Amino acid sequence: MKYFIKKLITLIITLLVISFLSFAAFSVIPGDAALSRLGKDATKEQLLALREEMGLTDPLPERYVRWLKGAVQGDFGESYRYEGITVQSLLEEPLFVTVLLSGIALLMILVFSIPLGIASARFSGKWLDVVTNQISQIIMAVPPFFLGMILTYVFGLTLHLFQPGKFISPRESFWKSVEYLIFPAVAIALPKIAMVVKFLRNSVLAQLSQDYVRTAFSKGNTSSGVLYGHVLKNAMIPVVTFLAMVIAEILAGSIVVEQVFSVPGIGRLLISSILNRDYPVVQAIVLYVTAVVVIINFVVDILYQLLDPRVRSV
Amino acid sequence: MMKPLVEIKNLSIRFPEEKGIFEAVKGVSFEIHRGEILGVVGESGSGKSMSALALMGLLPKDADIFSGEILFNGRDLLKMEEDEWRKLRGSEMGMVFQEPMTSLNPVLPIGKQVGESLRLHTKLSENQIREKVEEAMCEVGLTDVKRLCRAYPHELSGGMRQRVMLAQAMVSSPSLLIADEPTTALDCVVQAQILSLLRDIHEKKGTSILFISHDLNVVRALCNRVLVVYKGEIVEEGMTQEVLCHPRHEYTRSLVARIPAYDGRGQGEREMIRLDNVNVFYDVKNGFFRKNGSKHVIHDMNLTARDGEIVGIVGESGCGKSTLCKTILGLHTNYTGNVWIREDARPQMVFQDPFGSLNPARTVGWILEEPLRLRGIRDRSERKKRVSDMLEKVGLDASFASRRPRELSGGQRQRISIGAALLMESRLLIADEPVSALDVTIQSQILELLLRIHEERKMTLLFISHDLNVVRRFCSRVMVIYKGQIVEEGLSGEVYESPAHPYTRLLLGAASMETEMEASYAEGKTTSEEKEAALCAGTGSFGCAFYDRCPAACSICRQEEIPVTALGETHWVRCSVFAEKAKGKIN
Repeated sequence: MKYFIKKLITLIITLLVISFLSFAAFSVIPGDAALSRLGKDATKEQLLALREEMGLTDPLPERYVRWLKGAVQGDFGESYRYEGITVQSLLEEPLFVTVLLSGIALLMILVFSIPLGIASARFSGKWLDVVTNQISQIIMAVPPFFLGMILTYVFGLTLHLFQPGKFISPRESFWKSVEYLIFPAVAIALPKIAMVVKFLRNSVLAQLSQDYVRTAFSKGNTSSGVLYGHVLKNAMIPVVTFLAMVIAEILAGSIVVEQVFSVPGIGRLLISSILNRDYPVVQAIVLYVTAVVVIINFVVDILYQLLDPRVRSV
Repeated sequence: MMKPLVEIKNLSIRFPEEKGIFEAVKGVSFEIHRGEILGVVGESGSGKSMSALALMGLLPKDADIFSGEILFNGRDLLKMEEDEWRKLRGSEMGMVFQEPMTSLNPVLPIGKQVGESLRLHTKLSENQIREKVEEAMCEVGLTDVKRLCRAYPHELSGGMRQRVMLAQAMVSSPSLLIADEPTTALDCVVQAQILSLLRDIHEKKGTSILFISHDLNVVRALCNRVLVVYKGEIVEEGMTQEVLCHPRHEYTRSLVARIPAYDGRGQGEREMIRLDNVNVFYDVKNGFFRKNGSKHVIHDMNLTARDGEIVGIVGESGCGKSTLCKTILGLHTNYTGNVWIREDARPQMVFQDPFGSLNPARTVGWILEEPLRLRGIRDRSERKKRVSDMLEKVGLDASFASRRPRELSGGQRQRISIGAALLMESRLLIADEPVSALDVTIQSQILELLLRIHEERKMTLLFISHDLNVVRRFCSRVMVIYKGQIVEEGLSGEVYESPAHPYTRLLLGAASMETEMEASYAEGKTTSEEKEAALCAGTGSFGCAFYDRCPAACSICRQEEIPVTALGETHWVRCSVFAEKAKGKIN
């Protein structure tokens, strides 16, 4: 419990620091809300007046606190580009799509890599391990966008298993959109699966040579009893940390893969917003993504503590 | 006569190696009778553990049982189905391993691990298992068993973990217990407790014990019969007393041979090192938001060593020996008081762990050249020459320069460490348990090497060890440390002939099992639990650090400052009881 509270306080501080950084960064960049609303032809007087009216002349900390109050409630102000439309409404659907895509990718990683990693360790040196190892090696080297292109070509254009570019909004049909997202998710997940398999395999193998494994055998355990009863929990400890990093990378990967598969997620919105200097949207996305990564790390820390009693007493 | 419990006939175990085949066990035959304690003695690599592992079916995967039979209760294990053999493991035969720190699963609670073999081999309910587990843990001298069952291995001391190991091997009352160096990694006090525990178990339950060790004193204290194994063969077999008193084989004789002795010659008058009122602290991090504390590790230490002197520092693990070394070397700077070392001393250290203290990525030559580079010798051929000279001096040869540490044995690595220290032209060598990780025969070789070099160079040697036998023979002066404080100091003869401090006496009692075996057992039995509990609880806030383990403790021991009493010109002790006695004499 003490550990939990300690980690929770650290989490809140980190979130505050991140929010401040992402706010401050955008107030340093030239160009602001008044300029973008009035356009380049506006006179100095008009600009100054609007700035005064929008509160842009207030000191930075004051503006930050105002912005943060809104952000906590999901209010990031209005888009610069689309007048009268709030950032929140602009974000809503893409955010859901990206979360769905990342979720499917993560599920694939967990479902495939953990059993494969264990099997690979168990039959280390046998054909299953050798083949898995070879394939992993190749897949790890392929960047997701290229993998995405290959998948589009093979499964979309040749085998017609999905129609590239014809994404169906989850609002219309949830399952249809899930169906479309399967291939983008594969493009994100495959390299990560390869990594996690390799990582887990080595982790299990390292544990198998520990002294406690011999003790477990001396008590009359079968080899699968030793593997599942003793080794796995130990072997998962470093893997959990690794998975946290993988999740952060999934989010980064989805930005690229959304482009390749024309999925209207956060990634596409981010890129178009940057091109259009729609800063409130960019700010909101940056905050969301970093917050998700930090929160996931928090969850992993808690999981870690459940797995490893040695952390608990620290 | 009853059939023996185990009969091993003509067992050969082989390992495939790069260059052909290595035969670890060469046609060994022996038997373990019902209710006997059979000792197996030999150095590491002699194959003494291999036959035990073969008996348990725990041999490494690449091992090949080339020939032989292993009969357990008359049935050949090697001809059994794997599953049938597995069912014997943990129910009919249990095993205790050397390393209590790593032999338990770090992420499972103790209770679950102790009860595992019952869960595997019996149909008892969880409640019945819990009862049996608690019973088994009480039997091995553990207290507060219910709480302990929920604890994890890292919360326990080494001695407690070894008790837990014993409990998990004994919980299903096996007829054979295999103990593979069960006390080697433990302090001598705890060692005596574990041995007496083994004997208890043997007497109460009639369990046969196969006891594997490299330590003759331990085997002599425990075993009825002994086998001496050398290079995969049994070279001698017989009743323990007979084998050890009248060894016939040359190897047994070299085992029995004593540690080389130092006669105290070559002592100079100049002071080499001087510590005045040194207090050493460790920072304790309490976390992000709380104030950091500090732990007082060494209390008010005064120490001097003269040119060419060999000073022994004795104490159990955790008493601050290693912190003391670091402070002297300047590796630990959080201290108060004065540490003075002669300018030309160039202190060097030989570490305990010969496996971890040499850089595995470098060749031996590079490692040995390093001190020369540091001394500014730029000429490569000069450095090479000095290194090959040094390699010969430490008993190796020039060809070792191109090898890497992993290709060397523990003893060879320790020679390299010593060589590196000597190349620094060190006048002050600090040896922190330099032979504790080595086999007996290798131990005496390394000690001989240290003595020979000392003879030649007359440097000062601080010899830190928990092994009293070694210190006694090797050092002219001895300091006994308990919890960061010198509790007794004197010439070797004085401290060993007439130990004053109760802690010194306890140490000596635990170590000299050859002579006072029975007495020390009785002592260990009555107080072991309290000692163990006290070890975990830590000391009170003031007074004598040894108070909670001391058999002679009384109220005056709680006073704040424990006075030092001189017992002779060179011999003094820090104990209230002696101070009172001295006062009584004066009054």
